Amino acid sequence: MPEVLTTAALIAALEHADSSAALLTATQALAAAAGDDQAAITTLVQVLGFNNPGAAVAAVDGLIAIGPAAVDPLLHNLDVHNYGARAWAVRALAGIGDVRGLELLEQALGDDIGASVRRAAARGLGQLQLLGLEGPLREAVIERCLQALEAGGGDDEWVVRYAVVVGLESLARTMEGDADQLQRTYSALSQLAAEAGEPTPVVRLRASLALRRLP
Amino acid sequence: MAGAADLEAPPPGAGEPISEAEALRRLRQSEDQSLQYYAAWWLGRMRSRHPDAVPLLQAALRQRQPRNPAAGVEHNAVARNAARALGKLGDPRAVDDLLAALEDNDDGLREAAVRALGDLRATAAVAPICRRLASGLTGAGAPQANSPKLQEPCEALLEALGDIGLAEDPVLRVIEPFLNHDRPLIRSAAGRALLMLTGDPRWANDLLSLLAHPQLQVRRAALMDLGAVGWRPALEPICRTLAENSLKLIALRGLLEHGQGEPDDEAILAAMDALL
Repeated sequence: MPEVLTTAALIAALEHADSSAALLTATQALAAAAGDDQAAITTLVQVLGFNNPGAAVAAVDGLIAIGPAAVDPLLHNLDVHNYGARAWAVRALAGIGDVRGLELLEQALGDDIGASVRRAAARGLGQLQLLGLEGPLREAVIERCLQALEAGGGDDEWVVRYAVVVGLESLARTMEGDADQLQRTYSALSQLAAEAGEPTPVVRLRASLALRRLP
Repeated sequence: MAGAADLEAPPPGAGEPISEAEALRRLRQSEDQSLQYYAAWWLGRMRSRHPDAVPLLQAALRQRQPRNPAAGVEHNAVARNAARALGKLGDPRAVDDLLAALEDNDDGLREAAVRALGDLRATAAVAPICRRLASGLTGAGAPQANSPKLQEPCEALLEALGDIGLAEDPVLRVIEPFLNHDRPLIRSAAGRALLMLTGDPRWANDLLSLLAHPQLQVRRAALMDLGAVGWRPALEPICRTLAENSLKLIALRGLLEHGQGEPDDEAILAAMDALL
């Protein structure tokens, strides 16, 4: 079984990496070979907590490429005390877009003390994969995303409000003619586009762009 | 790079949220300096518009106190925070007191004062800042004995010259030697100031090369400096830099809000979207 040996060897190489460059290379190699190997996926999740941005980016990219098979390991291995790790995990879940991540993204946008975590969650709430979902369930998921993003529009940090705008724009594209939801989305974006509702110029510019792009 | 990343974080031991009236009360008393320290920070952070805020902060800026390592209190802690807050409140009445603080023996207080003078775009500060920097690499830029600090808070002095924006030849000549300082953070501050004052692309090269510096701290400073300048040609190099997305987003916001021309707004916004 050469593939198993290869993955184990790549995990060992990662665990023994003694420099940032070596860790980055080992993470990239493991991410490329991981497939749905649970040990490899778990190791990639652990890399998120190493406080090494380069390796974390590679691990997040790898976990997103792995997709749904990475969701459970991410949900069950979150280190609640390491806010850097949480931010990367939320980014990975946001990128995968699996609805199993919905609750975590809602909590992260609403409660997390790290602005980078709330930011990633806001973006993720706009890009959940809804294709396999049936009518009422689909609408309920969109409703939860919309409510979380509406509340996130009042966040104290400009970068989170910016991400809320991006989330609202992509969420609006999934709404299939639900007039109430669309109306609320436009209303939230309009507020973030106006000087009276939003102090930060870059957020207003991004919200105006979203309003111009939406039908 | 200061004034950019996490300087808005509350001071240690900040405690629970307070009201504006409570902040003013704490600043008015002088028995407990830790209460004054927090109050001064609070008024700046909250951009207080209360008519008593500036006069009370000016009085606090005139206070002096020794360093108290046991209590974790820095030299002139209240005055330093008052200077920072006065910079944020943007009231030109504070300039004279800040200019006086710029002549203090405490270099930490000088640093806080000069950053505030930069925030206030105080042209009256240009001459005293240039006087402090005029001794160049072997004077102002030389290391202090037994300390990681330089003789003068060069990074803050250089950045303030850029922020104030008086682009006269004598000012540029004072800044230029610092492009050759041993310390990359000082080179970055000098490049930032020259680029802000002149818009001349030749000063951008040093900053762009610092984005690839082996030390993360230097890459972060170059990101913040390019953002503060709003140097739009740096868009691609900023996106490629090995640093936290949070800092790249702040830098790109700077390109968008402080810069103009190419790349255009939509290109910058698209790059920001990809970093969320």
